[in-house]
Order: sequence, then structure tokens, then C-alpha cells
Amino acid sequence: MSQLLQEIEARIAGAKTAARRQNVGVVREVGDGVVRIEGLDDAMLNEMLDFGNGVMGIALNLEETEVGAILLGDFTSVREGHEVRTTGKVLQVPVGKALLGRVVDVLGRPLDGKGPIQADTFYPVEKIAPGIIKRRSVNQPVQTGIMAIDAMIPIGRGQRELIIGDRSTGKTTIAIDTIINNARLNRAAEQAGDTSYRPLYCIYVAIGQKQSSIARIISVLEEHGAMPYTIVVVASASDAATNQYLAPFAGCAMGEWFMDNGMDALIVYDDLSKHAVAYRQVSLVLKRPSGREAYPGDIFYLHSRLLERAARLNENYGNGSLTALPIIETQLGDVSAYIPTNVISITDGQIYLETDLFYQGVRPAISVGLSVSRVGSSAQIKAMKQVAARIKGELAQFRELAAFAQFGSDLDAVTQAKIERGKRIVEVFKQEQYRPIPVEIQVAVLWTVQNGFMDDVPVERIKEFQAKLVDYLTTRKADLLARILREKALSDASVAELKAAVSDFKQTWH
Amino acid sequence: MVSTRQIRRDAKRLYRACLVQGRLDPDRVRQAMDLVLSEKPRGYLRLLVHFQRLVKLDLQRRTAQVESAVVLGDDLRSQLGEKVHQRYGPGLFWEYRVQPELIAGLRLRVGSDVYDASVLGRLRELAESFE
Repeated sequence: MSQLLQEIEARIAGAKTAARRQNVGVVREVGDGVVRIEGLDDAMLNEMLDFGNGVMGIALNLEETEVGAILLGDFTSVREGHEVRTTGKVLQVPVGKALLGRVVDVLGRPLDGKGPIQADTFYPVEKIAPGIIKRRSVNQPVQTGIMAIDAMIPIGRGQRELIIGDRSTGKTTIAIDTIINNARLNRAAEQAGDTSYRPLYCIYVAIGQKQSSIARIISVLEEHGAMPYTIVVVASASDAATNQYLAPFAGCAMGEWFMDNGMDALIVYDDLSKHAVAYRQVSLVLKRPSGREAYPGDIFYLHSRLLERAARLNENYGNGSLTALPIIETQLGDVSAYIPTNVISITDGQIYLETDLFYQGVRPAISVGLSVSRVGSSAQIKAMKQVAARIKGELAQFRELAAFAQFGSDLDAVTQAKIERGKRIVEVFKQEQYRPIPVEIQVAVLWTVQNGFMDDVPVERIKEFQAKLVDYLTTRKADLLARILREKALSDASVAELKAAVSDFKQTWH
Repeated sequence: MVSTRQIRRDAKRLYRACLVQGRLDPDRVRQAMDLVLSEKPRGYLRLLVHFQRLVKLDLQRRTAQVESAVVLGDDLRSQLGEKVHQRYGPGLFWEYRVQPELIAGLRLRVGSDVYDASVLGRLRELAESFE
């Protein structure tokens, strides 16, 4: 026993009580979630600052005599004269699979009441994007389950595809459909024990949205069983502009963890227009010089450095990927506004949604002429390429010819046929929300319309025909669909069988 | 109306003119003040406010504030002065304050550097580690 006491005494005697050096400053000005601090000579850019009482901030402006910082969390307790300390750390968020199925704020703190998150890894919110040595070109598809997108504007893993359109045109729905479809694919692969399938984990970042909208999205994801593969990062309209500014970067850090660990992830930024507005607010309060539309000069860099972090890594660096689906809301269809043109030029393509189409009942209201995917076609599966290669052209031709047809002039038979085919393609691409279509069914349906099997079906009955055909194929020709999915191509044997199946179906359909 | 940017620039020039070998010279500061008050250039009051702020920040950087729970003895003060001198160089202004709420130990502040060796500081650190 005495030996133990001696040991304790020796430990106490040996304990160092040296004072630690801290860098401190004093709050000189506070307002709108932004503070100006005197002192803090050693503060680093983007360093976390401790205001006491659990309030943290980030140093954004390092000036000669003061530091401009943004506050995170409840900052109402911060007063002039408060002492601020540097922490020596840049802003970090928890990352890893423990976050899947959770709703978190910009600091990775749970908002869903499901208890603490057991994450042992942290990633900095601001990180340099992977360089060219680490990257490879896109070669694997992201199956959105939306036929119009998978056929005409395919997205590859590691791509950045912008979803752009006016308010209430279905931008968020496309992103949610994609998340739901990938959750379905992940679950199916898990249940089948398919280890070759690479699951796609999703991160949904809500920026400046109404709490009610966010709650609705979460309930849709839960309803469709997508939450176990999804992380929701929330910076709602009632959160400070600083939180809204940081949210996409925090979500991106969570996605990067999957990419760095050889997995695939998809991140949705909903939406970057509000993000730009939040950043403008922060910059103006920080008294940074303003430029066009009062946005700061680095607004392009803000979005480019965020979206550049989406990448497809090569085999030497783990083969992971991070796909980005940023969303931009336009005003009265003006795609040539400042922020939309910025983000269009950064991304690898855009899905443009039109209000007119939406109200005509064409949903998803994708404008084929203005939508493009610059790299995704190389990731499309062969079967889809075989059936969808000409569809975009045919649809664009149809739109032009349909405009002519409105004048009521006589049309030749070829033009008539093109218009009739176009009408049927438009009908086939109409799709209900939250009802993604598996790729093998998409291939079968597109093959049917492409080969004229729907030409004699009245346009108003196309959806009915499609539904019954899908029903017929899934119940009676499941082997054929499974083979298309397995082979990822339409072999001669598959084509022959599909032809026979569709012919058989047409005999029974009336 | 002179712009705020111009005022700041002029205040900085005035402040630089008061430095002798990198240190603020009190005589020059007084001379500069007298000159500005006699010449009264446009916006001179705003100029003096900015100048005062720069001088205040300079003095803060060169002031060593020592807070202790009890009055420090001369030998401890000289030991402390020696150590601080080694790290921050000569020419510091010293301020000593007694703060009983520190419980024990002392807290030294030089510019924006703080060395907290007080019991209060340790307790605060301990409390934060549990948060």
C-alpha cells in the first residue's frame, strides 16, 4: 500500500503545471452573426474561435488591426468586450457511416433527436479538391430512375450536373427521386448479397429552405426507405446566414469521406442560389468590397471550389467518387443571370426545367433543347445507349416540327410520322414523382417506342399502354429483364425475345 | 468630406511617423497631436480618433498585464520580468492588478498572448473539457 502512495506522490511531483499560451482578442463590434475582434494576432484563416459559453466562430477576414469572424450557433450572448480565444483548429465536421440515416446541422450535431452520433473521424470543412493526378474520367452511371434523364441526359459517378429552373418546377423532386432510386438499388444489392455492386450513399444539403419543406423531404425519404443510405444536412431559412454559407461545405466534407475511402457518394445542394445570397449577406456585413448585384468578387470561386471537390478518383487512389447535383433557382426562366451562368460554366452539364412544360403536364418538365450532359454519356450502360441514342434528336426535331404544325399547313407523311412518334416519346417520358423506374424497364419501354410498337396506340392511352406493358414484362418476362440488367446490353437474343414479348402483349392489349 | 479610407490612410502615416526604431515615441505622438490640432486639416477629428486607436493598439501590444490573486512580491516580479523580457524583448510597460477571483496563481497578458496559470483558469478548462 505504501508503495502505491509513493507512486502517487512521485506522479504528482512529476506533473507539469506550465501555463499554456493562448491567443486572445476582444470583441469590438457584433451584429448579424458577424463580429470584429481586436487582438488575435496569431489567428489563421478559417480558424475556429472560441467565444465561451459554447459559442464558436470562424475567422474569415484577417486585417492589419482586427479580425472579422462569423459566429456559429446562438450568438445572442456575445457582447462587446467579450474575450475570444483561438483554438488552433480549422472548422471540422464528423464524417463516416455513423452519419447515415441522420439529420444534422452544419457542425454535424444531430437534429433528429436520435441521440449522439458516434463518429471518430473528422474532416475539415474547407479542403483542396483532388488534383488531376488523382482523377479519372467518369465511367459509371448514376441511375436516377427518371427515364428522361437516364436516356437523354445521363449522369456519371463523379460528375457535377446542375438542376436549374424556376420555382415549383420539380427541381428538388428530381434530386429526391435520384436518392430514392439509389437507395432502392443499394437495398436490392444488399439483399441479393451482390458484392460487386458499388452502393451510392447520398447527402442532401438543405440551404435556406423552409423547415416545413425540409420536414416533408425527410418524411418522403423515410417513407421510401431511403434514409438508411442518406445524410441530411440542414441550414434552414431560420438559421443564420453564416450557417447557410457553411452548410454545403460541411455536406461536401461528409461526402468526401466516402470518396476517400473508395466508396461512391452523391451530394445534392438545394440550392446554391440561396447559398450565394447568404454569402453575399456575410460578405457585406464583413465589409468586403461588393461587385455585380452586390455579390462579392469571389462568388465564382466560392462555387467553383465547392463543386471542384466532386470527382472520380482513379484506382490508385481508391476508385471512389463524389457526384454533385447542385440546384439553382432562376427568376422568370432567366438562365443568363449572374449566379446561374456562373454555376452553368462550372458544372458538367445542366438539367433545365421549364415552367411552361410543367403546366402543360409534362413532368418532369425537362427542356430537352437546353439540357445537356457533357460527360455522362460515356457512363451510360450499353443497353441504354442502344435504345436512347437517337431519342434526344427525335424529340428536338418533334418540338420544331410541332411548332410548324400549329400553323395548320399540310404536312407530308414523313413529317406527320415524326410528329406522331414525338408525341408518344413525350408521353413515355412523363413520370410520377417518387416513382423511379428501374433501368431494365426503361430500356424495354424505350425499345418499344423506338421500334414503332406504340405508333398505333392513341397518344392519350400511351401511359396506360406503358403501365400494362411494364406489368406484363415484370410478371411474365422477369427473366428477360434480369438478363438485360445482368448483360447491361441488348443482345440479339434479348432483342428477339423482347420483340416477341411486346408482340404477344399487343395482341392481348386493347 | 474626406473618405474614411483616406482618413485611415492618413492616420496610419501619422502613426508611422511617430515610430523610432520600430517603437512608438511618446514625444513624437504629442508633437503630431499638436500639429494636427493647430493645422486642423479636413476631417481632423476623425483622423485623431483613428490615430488614437492605432496608438492604443500599439500600447496594448507592448503592455504586460499581470493579474494575481494576491499582491506579488518583488522577487517574483523580477523573475517574471526576466522571463517575459527573454521572450518579448525590452521596453514593455508593466501593469499589476490583484484579482481575488483568480483564487490562486496568476494570469499574464502580453499583447494578444495570454498565459493563464490561475486556479480559475484551470477550473474553466476542466469545465470546458466536460462539455
